[in-house]
Amino acid sequence: MTNSLKARLIYGMILSTAILLITFDLIIYHTIRTVLFNQFDTGLESAANIMSASVEFDENEVDFEFNSDSVPEFTGKKTNTYYELRQSNGELIKKSSSLGNDNLIWINSASPKVFKTFKMKNHRYRAIVINFVPKKEKNQTTNPPALNLTVARSVRNLLSHLEFLKYLLIFTTAGIIFITCVIASIVVTKGIKPLSAFAAQINNIRDDNLKTRIGGEILPQEIEPIKKQLNNLLERLEISFERERVFNANVAHELRTPIAGIKSIIDVSLTRERDAKEYRDALLEGLNIVNDMDSMISKLLMIAKIESGQMKPNIESVNIAELVEKCWKPFSDKAISSGIIFENNLDKTLAWNTDQACLSIIFSNLLNNAAEYTNNSGRIWVTSQNTDNGIEIFFENTGNHLTQEQIQTIFDYYSRGDKARSNTGLHSGLGLALTKRIIELMSGSIKADTPNGLFRIRVFLRAI
Amino acid sequence: MRILLVEDYLPLQKSLAKGLREADFAVDAAGDGQEGLWYATSNDYDVIILDIMLPKIDGLTILKKIRENGKNNQVLLLTAKDTVEDKIKGLDFGADDYLVKPFAFNELLARIRALTRRKYEQKSPDIIINDLRIDTNSHRVWRGNTEIILTSREYMLLEYLARRKEQVVSRMDIWEHVYEFNSDASSNVVDVYIGYLRRKLDKDTHIPLLHTIRGQGYLLGIQQ
Repeated sequence: MTNSLKARLIYGMILSTAILLITFDLIIYHTIRTVLFNQFDTGLESAANIMSASVEFDENEVDFEFNSDSVPEFTGKKTNTYYELRQSNGELIKKSSSLGNDNLIWINSASPKVFKTFKMKNHRYRAIVINFVPKKEKNQTTNPPALNLTVARSVRNLLSHLEFLKYLLIFTTAGIIFITCVIASIVVTKGIKPLSAFAAQINNIRDDNLKTRIGGEILPQEIEPIKKQLNNLLERLEISFERERVFNANVAHELRTPIAGIKSIIDVSLTRERDAKEYRDALLEGLNIVNDMDSMISKLLMIAKIESGQMKPNIESVNIAELVEKCWKPFSDKAISSGIIFENNLDKTLAWNTDQACLSIIFSNLLNNAAEYTNNSGRIWVTSQNTDNGIEIFFENTGNHLTQEQIQTIFDYYSRGDKARSNTGLHSGLGLALTKRIIELMSGSIKADTPNGLFRIRVFLRAI
Repeated sequence: MRILLVEDYLPLQKSLAKGLREADFAVDAAGDGQEGLWYATSNDYDVIILDIMLPKIDGLTILKKIRENGKNNQVLLLTAKDTVEDKIKGLDFGADDYLVKPFAFNELLARIRALTRRKYEQKSPDIIINDLRIDTNSHRVWRGNTEIILTSREYMLLEYLARRKEQVVSRMDIWEHVYEFNSDASSNVVDVYIGYLRRKLDKDTHIPLLHTIRGQGYLLGIQQ
């Protein structure tokens, strides 16, 4: 069966019509056949009854007074009716002279009448066989014997009428089916025309014209919900594509600045002959930029791995307080030089089933940001609290530079406190986006807020 | 010529400043928009190289304020934003040129030279005053057929005076266009370098070109 809706509808309509017509034909044919045969049999029975009434029993003999020669039905060239009168034992008493040497069928049955169709002289005949006892004369003392009268008539005309009816029904049905094909094709084509227009609209949607919406024509009621769902899907796709476009543009933009840095360092170095130290300084500067780019690309790759489901957490028991301490270490010197106080207020024995490597990236990002943005002589502190289904770890500091609007987008790609700021190498705008995705990978969540002018990040780790 | 470079990406800022200084420009560098705006409105730069995405105040806002202040600096936007819309927006804000990162340093230099010529309404890279010829592309100077070898500072001084040939240029103007903001040179250093330059330019000639206009400044050209 084809997958074409049009073909399915046409086939369905034709098949239904054909089944209905054939069923109707069969019923009509058999009803008419039965009626005609009943009428035929009634005629036969009447003839047989009349003939049987002509049989008398007189002087111990069967006297058959019916003169078939005077009835053209039984004689002449167009004879199509015959009779035979027999004893109950089958002994022939009398038969139509037109039968010549042929005999009709003889049925020895106890039933008063039996109908039977048989073949004789290459023609089909229908016969009635009646068992009867002839009338006896008043003076007759002996009881008459049981007789058997067979009257047969050709069914040639009847069968030819039925044959005609059969072919009439077959050709009429075939004609109706053919007309149905044509009508079904026209009706279905017209009926699904809005669907074809609908499909053409969908077909015309490409990734460069996702702003297009399906509609414009009056669609059938049945397609309206599909149109609505498709338009919703298109809207989601458009948002998704736009997000991807912005993300790609951001990546390209963020890579351009450090590449411009490397290119400029090399260009300037090559403008004249320099001593070894100058070349060395230039190379070191270039290397630092490459390391920053490497870090950014690593973050992008890790995000891509998480989003494509290639990264699975490796769960083990981790001492949270020790991990925080370890992650803070790289930033502690800079913080101390800025007069920033760091307090790790976590329970020293607090252990949690989680992925240590992932948690290490999360803590490092959060503490790095805290060390960077906390005001001089400010304070950073880490606390925790147990919840029904996990643990919350709070990273708080006194260096809030963000507005409520900036807080809302803090975990987006390339989100920075200062919108105008390009990649400085230190903060690519990917750290918190990566942090959020890692936490979500571990079925946790992260939120940022600014209670009482402080900056606070809440990390929720679900119990595993 | 004096240039203001406003770029927040420190490695790029440092290398550009170094390259520009080596190309005989006086360079002031700013790392954010606020600092850049202060420099731009407090000094008279020949060319301002401005990044668009900057901390605190973005480059386009700085550009708008520069134009609102009536400053006639030549402004070159140096940015990673590369779409046609970005370029149109930047130029419509009043920028004189637009260069997309990453770029070739020599292209940047060529654009700065072109902007400088435009500022002083000169088409040719050669400045000719009598028999003095200055090739502003190669920074070479001839008097007649004799090439005059100048130090970087002497060339900067000569080029600025030559850009304003036949005009009296004050000591302050020279200071503003040849020395950087953080220069630790004393104010009479201009007079000293004028002396050096005069000795090299007007040596062995009967037609002096560098003149002192008492109480006003200096003039490069034929004094009427």
